[in-house]
Amino acid sequence: MANNLNIEVAPLSRVEGHGDLILDVKNKKIEKLIFRIPESPRFFEAMLVGRKYDEPSHITSRICGICSVAHTCASIKATEKALDVKPSDQTIKLRKLIYHHENVQSNVLHVYFLAAPDFFGVGSVIPLAETHREIVNIALRTKKMANDMVRIIGGRAVHPIRTVVGGFTKLPTEEEMIKMKEMLKLCYTDLEKSLEVLKTLDIPDFKRETEYISISDPVDYALYNGKIKSTDGWEIDDQNYLDKINEKVVQHSTAKHCWASRDAFMVGALARFNNNHDKLTDNAKKYAEELGLKAPCYNTFMNNIAQFVEIVHSVDDSIRLIDEILEEGLDEDKAMAEIKPKAGKGVGVVEAPRGLLIHDYTYNDKGRVEKANLIIPTGMNYANIEKDMHALVPSIIGKSEDEIRLACEMLIRAYDPCVSCSTHFLKVKLINR
Amino acid sequence: MTHPNKNDSSSSGYVKTDVRIIGFGNKYRSDDGIGIRVVEELEKLDFFKNIEIIDGGTSGTDLIFLIKGCGKLIIIDAIDAGQNTGDVVNIKVDDIEEFIKKDYKSFSLHDLNLADILKLIKALKIDTDISIIGVKPKSIDFGDKLSQEIEKKIPEIISIIKKEINI
Repeated sequence: MANNLNIEVAPLSRVEGHGDLILDVKNKKIEKLIFRIPESPRFFEAMLVGRKYDEPSHITSRICGICSVAHTCASIKATEKALDVKPSDQTIKLRKLIYHHENVQSNVLHVYFLAAPDFFGVGSVIPLAETHREIVNIALRTKKMANDMVRIIGGRAVHPIRTVVGGFTKLPTEEEMIKMKEMLKLCYTDLEKSLEVLKTLDIPDFKRETEYISISDPVDYALYNGKIKSTDGWEIDDQNYLDKINEKVVQHSTAKHCWASRDAFMVGALARFNNNHDKLTDNAKKYAEELGLKAPCYNTFMNNIAQFVEIVHSVDDSIRLIDEILEEGLDEDKAMAEIKPKAGKGVGVVEAPRGLLIHDYTYNDKGRVEKANLIIPTGMNYANIEKDMHALVPSIIGKSEDEIRLACEMLIRAYDPCVSCSTHFLKVKLINR
Repeated sequence: MTHPNKNDSSSSGYVKTDVRIIGFGNKYRSDDGIGIRVVEELEKLDFFKNIEIIDGGTSGTDLIFLIKGCGKLIIIDAIDAGQNTGDVVNIKVDDIEEFIKKDYKSFSLHDLNLADILKLIKALKIDTDISIIGVKPKSIDFGDKLSQEIEKKIPEIISIIKKEINI
C-alpha cells in the first residue's frame, strides 16, 4: 500500500512522441499531478506565414505521420473556405473515403499495438507477437489494407500528395475502386476474430463524466465534416469555434490547455461515439453492443473499444461510398475546382483519429497566409487527462506502486495521445522517493 | 526468403530491383530529417535509377509492409548509437540488440520506435537483409534545415549506401 509516492514517468512509453507524468502523493493525498508535454506546437503556425495557398496542406501533413490525412484535410478545408473554393461532390466523397482509412490506420495501431499489450499483460507488441501472433497478424493485415486505400487515393500511404486544395491531382481508376471494395470485404473475418478477443479484455472499471466534444452531421458519423457539438447540449458552426473552445497557457507545458463549458473536455473516438453513435452503421452498432459500449459512456478506458467500433464503421461506410462513386461514375472534369487567390479567413475542422483538429488561416489578396492557428486534439485533452488522473489515483491508492504506475500509464495511453513530436527514447524511468 | 551469396567479394549478388532504400524522419525537425534529405538526393542520381527509393516520413510500423518483396533493405535515419555527433554508423539488423544495449536511440519514427519495429520484424520471423545507416543529429528542434555539420555528411552517407548495394 502506498502512502507516499513520487512517480516520474519520462517519457511515457508507447505514447506518440513523448510526454512526462509527474505524480507526488503524500499521506494518500495528491500533492502534485502533472502531465507535461515538451513540444513546440507554434512552430508550424509561424512556418505557414507567407506561404502560397497550395503549400500549407503539404507542410502540415508532415506534422505527424499518424495524422497526416487529417492535417491535410483540415488545411485544405480552411484554405477552400478562405478562398471560396467549392470542391465537387465527387471530391468530398473521395476525401471521406481516404479519411476513413487514416482513421483505420491509426486506430489499428493504437488498439492492437499500443493498448492491447497492457490488457494482455505482456509489456509491448514484441512479446505479443509470440503470445498472440494471430492478433498481431490481424492488425498487420488491417493496417496494410488501410495503407493501400490511402495510397491508391492519395498517391502515398502517408503524407498524401494527390489530395490538394480544389480536389485531386489524379483520380483513382474504376478498376482501383473495385479492387478497394474487394480489399474491404476481406476485412470482415479479421474484425469478427478481433471482436471475440476484445470481448475477453478486462477493461478497468473507471467512471468520470466530462464534456465530450466532436463534430457532428445529420447523416454521417462525422469525421470529415460537421458542426462542432458538445454533450453539454450546444452545437456551433465550425467557423465559430472560438465562441466555445478556449485555450490558456499553463506553466508546466508548452502546449495550451483547453476548456469549453466546463474546466476540461474530452475529444477522440469516445467523444465521437457519445455524440454520434446513432449514425454508426448497423453492423458497427452491433459490435458496440457486443463489447458493452453504450452512450453516454464515461469510462475513458473504453476509448480503445470506441476506436475498434470505428474501424468496423469505416470499413462498412467505405463500401457504401465506393458503390455510390462507381454508380455515379468517376468524372475527370470534377477532379479539380477553380481556384482564384483572394483575401479571406477560413477554418477547417475535422476529426483526426485523436479528436477535433482545427486549422484557422487568414489569407491576403495574393493568396498567401498572413496568420495561422492550429489546435491539435491532444492539446484539447491535456486538461481532461489531468482531471481523470485526479479521479483515478485516489481509487487505486491501496495498490502497489507498480500497479499504480501501470494504471496511470494505461489511462494516458487510452487517450492515444500524440504530441506531434517525432522523437522517441527507449528508456522509461521510474523515480521513487 | 533466401539471401544471395553475400560472401561474393565482387558483388552483393543483388540486382537493383531487389534493393529498396527508405529514408525515415521528420523534415521539419532539423537533423531528424536527414533520412528524407538523403532520399531526395538519391532520386537525382543516375546510379539509383531502377532502385525503389521511398520517403518513409514518420510512419514507423509501415516498415513491416515495405520489407515485403525486397531482398536488401537500406534504412536511412537519425540515430544515436553512442557515436559522436555527426558520425555515421552502418548497423546490420542482426546487431540491433547489441546497439540497444549500448543505449541506441532512433530519433525519428513516430509510432513504435525503429528498434522496436526491427525487433518485431525478427519476432515475426521476416527474414530480410537490412542495413540501417544513421547519423547522430546535432539538433532535433523544430526547423526545416539540417545543421551544417549534418548536411555535409550526405556524400559520405551516399557513398556508404553505394558500397552497401555493391552492384
